[in-house]
Amino acid sequence: MKQNLLTIVIGAVLVIIFALLLFVFQVRQSEIAVVTTFGKPVQNITEPGAYFKWPWPIQNVYKFDKRIQNFEDKFSQTLTADNNNLIVTIFTGWEISDAKEFYPKFLGSVPAAQRALESMMRNAKNAVIASHNLSDFVNSDPQQLKFDAIEGEIKAEVQAELSTNNYGIQLDFLAFKKIELPESVSATVFSRMTAERQQIISSLQFAGDAESNNIASAADRLAAGVVNNALADATRIRGEGEAAAAQVLPVFQQNPELANYLLRIDALKQSLNQRSTLIFDERTPPFDLFQNLPKNSPTN
Amino acid sequence: MSHDHEHHDHDAPETQDAGSQALAEALRSSFAIVKIVMALMVLAFFGSGFFTVGPQEKAVILRFGKPVGEGDKILLNAGLHWSLPYPIDEVVKIPITEQQIVSSTIGWYLTTPEAELSGEEMPAGPTLNPAIDGYVLTADRNILHARATLRYHIDDPMRYVFGFTNAQMTVQNALNNALLYTAASFNVDDILLNRVDEFREAVQLRVTDLAEQQQLGIVIEQCDVESRPPRQLQSVFDQVTDARVNRDKALIGAHSYENQITNSAGAQAVSIINRAEADRTNYVASITAEAKRFTDLLPGYETNRNLFAQMTLVQTMGQVLTNVQDKIYLPQRADGQPRELRLMLNREPPQPKNAASP
Repeated sequence: MKQNLLTIVIGAVLVIIFALLLFVFQVRQSEIAVVTTFGKPVQNITEPGAYFKWPWPIQNVYKFDKRIQNFEDKFSQTLTADNNNLIVTIFTGWEISDAKEFYPKFLGSVPAAQRALESMMRNAKNAVIASHNLSDFVNSDPQQLKFDAIEGEIKAEVQAELSTNNYGIQLDFLAFKKIELPESVSATVFSRMTAERQQIISSLQFAGDAESNNIASAADRLAAGVVNNALADATRIRGEGEAAAAQVLPVFQQNPELANYLLRIDALKQSLNQRSTLIFDERTPPFDLFQNLPKNSPTN
Repeated sequence: MSHDHEHHDHDAPETQDAGSQALAEALRSSFAIVKIVMALMVLAFFGSGFFTVGPQEKAVILRFGKPVGEGDKILLNAGLHWSLPYPIDEVVKIPITEQQIVSSTIGWYLTTPEAELSGEEMPAGPTLNPAIDGYVLTADRNILHARATLRYHIDDPMRYVFGFTNAQMTVQNALNNALLYTAASFNVDDILLNRVDEFREAVQLRVTDLAEQQQLGIVIEQCDVESRPPRQLQSVFDQVTDARVNRDKALIGAHSYENQITNSAGAQAVSIINRAEADRTNYVASITAEAKRFTDLLPGYETNRNLFAQMTLVQTMGQVLTNVQDKIYLPQRADGQPRELRLMLNREPPQPKNAASP
C-alpha cells in the first residue's frame, strides 16, 4: 500500500511534468512571443512569465528578442541640396514591438526585417539629405547646425513608413555614424586646406612682426614720457628750491660787501680743497709773517 | 489435489526459495543502490541550484522568465546564492562594477595599435578612401582625424542587459555619433589647438545626452579624445605651429624689451626726481646756513671790517693749507726779478702692471 502510494505520486509528478512541457511555455524578461493557432497569430505576449497553450500541432509559440537591436545601413553616397556628395552611414536601435504583426510579415526572420529596414533607411536618408545644404551638416554656428534636426527628419520618415506598413517594429533611435566625402573630393579638400594653412602662416608672420613692433614702439613712447615727466618734475622741484632760497636773499641785502667777501672766502675754500697744489710766496697770508713780523712797534 | 497442490506448494518454495531469495536479495540491494542514486540525483538536482556571484558582477534569477524580486532586490550581490534548477529558474550574470571601455570606430585612418606603437604605419596616400580611412568633417569643412575612448560603468543593469541585444555596441555608436556631431560644430584650429578641452567636454556631453535619450543605463566616467590633422597635411600644419611659435617668441621678446625699457625709464625718472629733491633741499639748506652765518658775522664785520677780513682770511688759509696736498713756498728773489718755475704734474695713479699680461 505504501509502495503503491509512492508509485502513484511519482507517476503523477511525471504526468505533471509532461503536461507542463506540453501545455506551458516560458517567456523570458528579454523576450516577446506570439502564439499561433493552426498557423494563425492569435495572441501577443509582451510580459515575461509562464503561459498556457494547447500542444502542437494546435498551437505554436514563436519567441523573439524584444531588446533593442543595433543596425546600421551600408555606407552610401548621397547628394545634398547644394550638390555636395556625402557618403553617409546611419545607425539605428530598433525593437520588435508587436510579435503578432512582426511574425507574419517577416516569418520571424530578423535579417529579413533588417533588409526591409535598410531600404526604408536608405530612402529616407536620400530624401532628407537632398533637402539640406552641406552647411546644415557642418557649421560652427549652433543656430545653423541642423545635425540633430536632420537625424530627426530621417527618423520620422522611417517611423512613418514602419507604421504605415504595420511591421510590428519600433524605431527607438536613429543617428549618423559616419559622414565622409568621396575619395576624389578629399584631394580637393586637402589642397584647399593647404592654401588655408599657408594663409595662416603668412598672417601669423605678419601679425608677429607688427605686434612686436607695436609693443616695442609703445614701450619706447611710454619710457620717453616717463623720463620727460620726471625731468619736468625735477625742474619744478628745483624751481621750488630757488623760490624758497629767494625768500632768504634779503638777509644778504643788509651788507652786500660782507656777502660778497664771504662768497669769495667760500670759493677759495672750495677751490683749494683736496688734491690741489698751491704755490705761494711770502706775500700770501699767513706766510706774510715771514716778511713782516709784527713788532712791538712804538707807534702803538 | 489440494495435497498435491500443497505438496507442490510446499515443495516449490524449497527450490524457489533459494532462487527468489537470491533475486530478492539482489533486488533489494539494487533497490538500495537505486535509492541512493536517486537520493544523490535529487541532491544534485537541488544542489545544482547553488551558484556564486563574483565581486565584479551581479546576478538576476529569472523564474519562468520573470525576474525574481522587486526593485533593487532583483539584483543579487556577490556571494553564494541558490535558485531552483532549470527550467524553473535561470540565472543571468551581469558584469557591473568593473569599468567598461569602448573606443570609437570612426574618424581614424587605417592603422593597427601595433603599427602605431612601432611607428611603422602604412604611408598615407594622396587621398582618403572612405571605405577604409575614417575622418570627421569640421565646421569649417576641414578633414580631421579624431578618435575617442569612453569609460563608463553600468548603472542600471536590468536596462543594460535586458534592454539591448548589444548595449556596448549601442554605446559605441553613440560615441561615434558624438565625435561626428561635435567635430561638425567646431573649427579645425579649435579642435587641434585653441579649445581642445572644450571639444573633449562637448564630445562627452553629447555621449551623455545620447546615453540618456536611449536610456542605456550607464554612467559616463571619462571620455578621452585625440585628434590630429591628416597625415597628408602634417608638414603644412607643422609649419603653422612653427609660425605660431615664432610669433610667440617675437611677442615674448617684445614684451621683455617693453619691461626692460619701462623699468629703466622708471628708475631713471626716480633718480632724476631724487636728484632734484636733493638739490632743492641742499640749496635751501645751504642758503639758509649762509644766511645764518651772514647774520652771525655781520655785527663783527661792522665793528672792525679790516680786522675781521684779515682774521677770516688767515683762518681760511689755515684750513686751506691743511687740505692742500702739495704746498710750494716760493719766496721772492732777493733781486726782485721774476722766477721761472717748471712743473710736471701727474695726477693719474700709476697703472697696475700685472693687470692685463699673463
